[in-house]
Amino acid sequence: MGTQVSNPVVIMLINMTIVFAVLFVLSLYIRLIHKIDPTAEAATRIEPEEDDVEESAPVATKPVVQEGIAGETVAAIAAALASVGVGFSQVKAIRVAPRPGWGNVARSEGLTSLKMRR
Amino acid sequence: MEIIEAFTTSIQSVWLDSGFAAFTGGNFIMILVGLLLLYMAIVKEYEPLLLAPIAFGCIMANFPCTGFLTEPGVMQLIHYGIQFEIFPPLIFLGVGAMTDFGPLIANPNTLFLGAAAQFGVFVSLAGAMALGFTAQEASAIGIIGGADGPTAIYMASKMAPNLLGAIAVAAYSYMSLVPLIQPPIMKLMTSKEERSVKMDQLREVTKFERVVFPISAAIIISLLLPPVAALISCLMLGNLFRESGVTDRLSDTSQNALCNIVTIFLATGTGMTMNAENFLTVQTIEIILLGLLAFAGGTAAGVLLGKIMCRLSGWKINPLIGSAGVSAVPMAARVSQMVGQKANPSNFLLMHAMGPNVAGVIGTAVAAGTMMAMLAK
Repeated sequence: MGTQVSNPVVIMLINMTIVFAVLFVLSLYIRLIHKIDPTAEAATRIEPEEDDVEESAPVATKPVVQEGIAGETVAAIAAALASVGVGFSQVKAIRVAPRPGWGNVARSEGLTSLKMRR
Repeated sequence: MEIIEAFTTSIQSVWLDSGFAAFTGGNFIMILVGLLLLYMAIVKEYEPLLLAPIAFGCIMANFPCTGFLTEPGVMQLIHYGIQFEIFPPLIFLGVGAMTDFGPLIANPNTLFLGAAAQFGVFVSLAGAMALGFTAQEASAIGIIGGADGPTAIYMASKMAPNLLGAIAVAAYSYMSLVPLIQPPIMKLMTSKEERSVKMDQLREVTKFERVVFPISAAIIISLLLPPVAALISCLMLGNLFRESGVTDRLSDTSQNALCNIVTIFLATGTGMTMNAENFLTVQTIEIILLGLLAFAGGTAAGVLLGKIMCRLSGWKINPLIGSAGVSAVPMAARVSQMVGQKANPSNFLLMHAMGPNVAGVIGTAVAAGTMMAMLAK
């Protein structure tokens, strides 16, 4: 239990000093953690390795194309990707996406409304 | 005739037992206050997640003859959660899990901005004592300046339970009004040149630092200031859930489900302290005005230290981040970003302001702890 101080200015000064002191100690402690951090050096050592990986030539892999997809479709996708600056070598696979019921409904609704507008 | 007499007696009995018979003008005014707060929450969208349950709690508190706080039941349980300081630490658990301490760890100097912003707390404390409040009551009123609702409730429950309703409402009101109160003070205290200062990108913080900081900060502060050990420990535990990388489910629960549940209880319980007998007093007006003084003083002191740090660092620190030293997370940081970007559209202060913002949460808890240690009866 604390001693009873009645002067507001004294209370203010004492408390403000304590708050600054505690947070100052905490700031020193954060600096100490940074200094003793054993992972910091490893992290900086890994960085150039990562750069090296980036600098090496990307390995061009052929995308896996699902059976039944026409060569023209693959060419159209490749052209579309190239037009937005994406290399075809970055594509992992081309396959027909499953169409959930709500998707089909939305698509048919969209087409219907498009036809109506026309 | 006998039937009519029995009927009349029954009606009289129902009327006398009803809330209408005991309903006072004060209850009516407080229900209007509750409706006004609900309007602000729903229509104006001022902190609706907090203000809506507070407002409804305020309305409920003014239903006479309910026995909410005296008879066992869910309402009394909620009241106990506030009276025995159960909810504020749980909210801090969620705040810790939601908050990125990285900007603070990357730039520990921002801790001083969090400390400076506590100046408003102590100015308000001095003002309250000058107005005749006891030192304990004044300390609970002053903490409103920290713009930290859970700490204000925690402090009021311990130091001035009689003023809990007014203090909680003032604290949460000013938290929701941060975007309105702070910008004029920030603009008044800084030049356009100062507001336009662009800050360098913060260094990357390693996982080691992120994990070690909450653990060690909890140990240091709790040992130093045991009265706020529950608050600080929960804050740091929540942050540890977030940063450890192995407790994702606990982190998710802390920052979402648990935090939302406790917010409902805390805010409703706070509103339920606003009954007419306790709330409709001159003291409430004084508390609300002192809270504004504390909040404005904290903002001004933060910006002032920001200006000093700006000069000392060779114009590398934007003084606007000082205002985020009041701990309304992340609202105060967003205000720094907003005002800074108005002065210089290519300025991005948000992450820099999160440092003092987190420091403000810790600073307010430390301020509460020092006052409790010094002034508790």
